[in-house]
Amino acid sequence: MKKAALTLFPLITILLMIWGFYQAIYVAPDDALQGYVFRIIYYHVPSASVAFAFFAVSLLGSIGYLAFRRNHPTRAQVADAWALAGAEVGVIFCTVVLTTGPLWGRRAWGIWWTWDARLTTTLVLWLIYVSYLLLRRFAAGPQMQTLAAVLGIFGALDVPIVYMSNRWWRTQHPAPVFGGDADSGMKDPTMVHALLWNMLAWFCWGLLVLFLRYQVERRHQQYAALEAEEALTGAD
Amino acid sequence: MDQRDILDHQFVTAAYIVTWTIQLAYLAWLGWKWRSEKRNAERRSREAR
Repeated sequence: MKKAALTLFPLITILLMIWGFYQAIYVAPDDALQGYVFRIIYYHVPSASVAFAFFAVSLLGSIGYLAFRRNHPTRAQVADAWALAGAEVGVIFCTVVLTTGPLWGRRAWGIWWTWDARLTTTLVLWLIYVSYLLLRRFAAGPQMQTLAAVLGIFGALDVPIVYMSNRWWRTQHPAPVFGGDADSGMKDPTMVHALLWNMLAWFCWGLLVLFLRYQVERRHQQYAALEAEEALTGAD
Repeated sequence: MDQRDILDHQFVTAAYIVTWTIQLAYLAWLGWKWRSEKRNAERRSREAR
């Protein structure tokens, strides 16, 4: 059953990615103002949504690690592995957002970048989680996981600020696609469908990669624990 | 197709290629890491015997 699910899920994800691509390129119409370049949105917005969701996974993992680290070491390690997987995969999706965004901006605005609230807070979010990953890579000692968990929690505080930035402040970045004013968002249902299909596809892809990253980290933790145990028995 | 359409098309293509390059490069790195962890575990079990 588990094996069937493990084979079926990647297959469904690939089919969804193909369907999403078809919807974005061949079914959705050109935007009335922006024309063909608007289609970048079908990869840009889903990537941002997945990044936010995975930073939330990292937040929950970080809180879990801090809650369990004294009394439930195994649970704490599981939570820590989820925190790392969420942060790392979130950074990958955030990198996609920060590269596809300027590509769209160059055609729509005539500039690659501007320091408006949405763009700046997104860059800060990316930098915080990159520093989280660097801390995990280069810091050593028993406090590393605790420090990383605290940084992970602080990093997640930026997510609602990024989300709300183009609602709270006047920004050059377009108004929200979902949850904005009556004037904002997509008017054509085929555009909305194309976006929703791509969101579903990228969420499935993200879950796949997240699960794989979690498994790799759990293996690494188990290997590191064995090495530490052996070093201790060797010292005796 | 005028110049504007061609440029639009090139930018969309670039955005999609960049997205897939980032995602597939990360997946490849994960696969490599998975293999190296697996090799470590195998070496350990050989040494334990």
